[in-house]
Amino acid sequence: MSAEAYRVRGGRPGRAREALVGYAFVLAPMAVFGVFFLFPIGYAIYISRYNWGVYGSQGSVGWHNYGWVLHDPIFWRSMRNIGEYTAWVVPAQMALGLFMAVIVNQKIKARTFFRSAFYFPSIASSAAITTIAIFILNADGLLNKALSLVGYDHHTPWFYTTTTAMPTIAGLNAWTTSGTMMLFYLASLQAIPNDVYEAAAIDGAGRWRTFWKVTFPLLKPGHFFVAVVSILGAVKLYDQAFIVSGGTGGPDYATLTPVLLLVQEAVQNIRFGYAAAMGVILLAFMVVLTLAQRLLFGRSEAA
Amino acid sequence: MTAIEPESFGPPAAAIDNLVTGNVDGGGPSRGAIPGRARSERAIRVGAYAAMTAISLLFFIPFLWTVSTSLKTLPETAYFSLLPNHWSLQAYHDVWTKYDFARYIENSAGLSVAITLITLVVAGLGGYAFARLRFPGREILFFGVLATLMVPDQLRLVPVYEMLVKWHLINTYTGYVLIKLGLATSLFLMRQYFLTIPKDLEEAAKLDGAGYFKTFWRVMLPLAGPALAAVTILEFQGAWNDFFWASLLLQTPDHYTVQLGLAQFVFQYHTEWPKLMAASVIAILPIVAVYLVFQRYFVAGVASAGVKG
Amino acid sequence: MRRVLLTFLVLAIAAVVATTAAQARPHRTVAGPSGNVVLSGWASSGSEFDFLTNVVQDFEKKYPNIHVTYQPINGNYPQAMLARFASHTPPDVFYVDSSVAPDWMAAGVLQPLNSYFSKFHFSTKPFFPRLLSGFTYKGQVYGLPKDWSPLAMEINTSMLQKAGVGVPTTWPALIAAAKRMQVTNAVPGGAPICLSADWARLLPFVYQAGGSFLNKAGTAPVLNTPAAKKAINFYVGLATSGLARTPDQLGSGWCGEALGKQKAAIIFEGNWALPYMHDTFPTVSYATYAMPHGRARGDLGFTTSYSMAKDSKNKAAAWTLLSYLTGAQGMKKWTDQGLALPSRSDVPPAAGRSVLIKEAPYSRAWSFFPGFSDVYTVMNNDLTAVFQGKKDVQGMINDIQAATVKALKK
Repeated sequence: MSAEAYRVRGGRPGRAREALVGYAFVLAPMAVFGVFFLFPIGYAIYISRYNWGVYGSQGSVGWHNYGWVLHDPIFWRSMRNIGEYTAWVVPAQMALGLFMAVIVNQKIKARTFFRSAFYFPSIASSAAITTIAIFILNADGLLNKALSLVGYDHHTPWFYTTTTAMPTIAGLNAWTTSGTMMLFYLASLQAIPNDVYEAAAIDGAGRWRTFWKVTFPLLKPGHFFVAVVSILGAVKLYDQAFIVSGGTGGPDYATLTPVLLLVQEAVQNIRFGYAAAMGVILLAFMVVLTLAQRLLFGRSEAA
Repeated sequence: MTAIEPESFGPPAAAIDNLVTGNVDGGGPSRGAIPGRARSERAIRVGAYAAMTAISLLFFIPFLWTVSTSLKTLPETAYFSLLPNHWSLQAYHDVWTKYDFARYIENSAGLSVAITLITLVVAGLGGYAFARLRFPGREILFFGVLATLMVPDQLRLVPVYEMLVKWHLINTYTGYVLIKLGLATSLFLMRQYFLTIPKDLEEAAKLDGAGYFKTFWRVMLPLAGPALAAVTILEFQGAWNDFFWASLLLQTPDHYTVQLGLAQFVFQYHTEWPKLMAASVIAILPIVAVYLVFQRYFVAGVASAGVKG
Repeated sequence: MRRVLLTFLVLAIAAVVATTAAQARPHRTVAGPSGNVVLSGWASSGSEFDFLTNVVQDFEKKYPNIHVTYQPINGNYPQAMLARFASHTPPDVFYVDSSVAPDWMAAGVLQPLNSYFSKFHFSTKPFFPRLLSGFTYKGQVYGLPKDWSPLAMEINTSMLQKAGVGVPTTWPALIAAAKRMQVTNAVPGGAPICLSADWARLLPFVYQAGGSFLNKAGTAPVLNTPAAKKAINFYVGLATSGLARTPDQLGSGWCGEALGKQKAAIIFEGNWALPYMHDTFPTVSYATYAMPHGRARGDLGFTTSYSMAKDSKNKAAAWTLLSYLTGAQGMKKWTDQGLALPSRSDVPPAAGRSVLIKEAPYSRAWSFFPGFSDVYTVMNNDLTAVFQGKKDVQGMINDIQAATVKALKK
């Protein structure tokens, strides 16, 4: 009996049952989503309309917090910073991750060794890696010593010079998260059956052509996933910016990210309402960004 | 039919037929047929291996420096040196005896395993449902899942904290596990993976009379090996390396995780490098173990070919 | 794969059972009227954690009915504390840094203490008035300073000797000494002076020139004066002339590290540098001297208080702990260990700290008004820009004045 005939026989009660099972299967994640995400967002929107101190409302300000945030040049500076950072980090992460995944997916010798080596930077916690990186990227640290050997003798304090601070953090993060992106791409690569490669080989395609014409397009669901996770992670940057700048967002606002500014407003100035407005604006920005991604890169998955 | 668009790589139709009927013989053009090809092939190979080995060593350098620093004494850490001048195990001794690291590791292990397991089950079911089952509002709900990736933890902090206080879940393992069930990435990953599995398998199972859950448990889940391995590694590591929520929700030293233990060595004006590195080495080992075990499931070409339509 | 998952499942269940069982063990309850008190703060070093634990143990010996749980917070202290305040579950007694005190007092999270002073006949007279004023708000005292430190000038004595100069006591002498050090290459690979792009290090020089940040009433900024400008130009001039470098240019996180790494000969840091140098750079020979003076002497005093939470569930016991820690006896036990100076005039400092104590009469508190953090952000970002030649001094002064006026208005 063909598959089509079976489905037709299912009919309406089949659909209802399928829907019920669907809801049952997604019940747990939806519950978590509702309680620990939807509710806090609602709460944030609520308090963003007030001057909100530690113990609660100190008077309503309507939607003015949003106006003040959008008129704050420091907020826009932080958005510019994060835009610059994202533009550096996302392509680097995706390219590195894909490159490493393709390598370790081959049946090469010492595959486990390479897989472990490539994944290693992702294993340690971001705080530990950042602390080590600060040490290595010091004015007289390891990197500058190595660079002076090849003639670059400037001893730049990479994290503390306004022009290099953000790109350095981007480089550091691309390096540490490349292992995780490698994992994601690896999972996607696994879904491509061997026969596809064999068919391409029969057809006479070389390795390079096979990769670009066969593998790369088949990885569309993987690309979409990695791109979304990468961009959203980049926009939320906080840990490294905090550690590197000591929480100040310096030097001269170079490492001030929107989330760092949000935390400063909430924790140092105790302006929870204002900070909440900032958070909601950032959230709206990310929603628009993700929607745009989905529309632009279209039906990349079977609907 | 496999989920391939024939236009994108354009082999002759005959090749596709061969695919479907499983009538494929392996190998490509015989390598030695073109003169000189073999030697240049080998040169490329050696070069590639050399480059990869160099890169791998580069990736290992921070870890080597970590181990080396853990064997130094504090004054020596001010200056950079690859190997210690005076080898000393004092840091390891202090970490294990003066600080309760055995307990921290126990806590971290229990929490990470619990979070990973719950996520595997929930993300597996949910990912399958989002990929293969039809129910009204599916796309909206999935976008909601994606939306959780957009919410910075710091924005959620105060409302979540107040909720947990109300339910008496502060400084409890239950509260911590609930908060750490981020789920979005794992759900997303499982869904994307399930989308690439050919529909024929499920339909075959349905024809055999399997219900939804059985189809999921017996057919889809075993096929999702690589995705499950990725989720395991990801969740375990995410839970193990978390500092933000652990520092806020686990407040008494007997509840501390490894990361909170590590933070005890970082102070305002200085860091106790040898102890921090020694503790870090101890802290990294379980993740390495989990990774080595589960990366075996990334086997080239694990997705079965030759699916009968 | 499934077998591995099953093993995992068993492990997970075992772990959950084990940890739930651990949780179920009954908490230790203390009989008697006084009960449990939670003490919190941050630990600026491993030694601080140990020292305070010792003091707490002495307290418990004296008051056996009170059990103190000492739980310092790792990580972002204000963030963690604010979450605890918001949920009405704060520690009973905790540190409050003088720079955040105005905000926390205005937010109403601290317990006013005047009634305890009168009820328990606790005199606040011995406390240095300038330090105590940092924790006073609208006539009420909200915290007692537990210790303090001013800035001092630390100089590498062998480098000083090599340059053949005496200890500088005035601004011109400082410049001359630094120039000599440059000429004689007394600091190879570094700079004679390490200066932070931080107004918490620049402000004392403003005081030394006879200027000030705020007017006497604290209602308006007064940085646009010749005296303040003279000081700022002096400080910035040291950096732009190459006589001084910032810590990151010297490959260090702060000037103390630069001194230890022997990348700088002269730095301006407080008492916290002394234990640091002793632990991390024991072989570097340096000595502590008074800050140089301009027209006058001036310095900053950094202090932290012990305060009680408004939402404390056990205020009586909390007061007992607080008054012990800030009483003459408790404070002496703490400051004898050399981490900071006593904030009471009736407690002698630890050995070797006399230079720092002598700065007390000229030290003003590093504590201003609620909302000061915004101004501080502008201050330091602008100063960094000035150091890097991207902004001029007048521009910085204008920015700071504008930010201060805005913050004071709120």
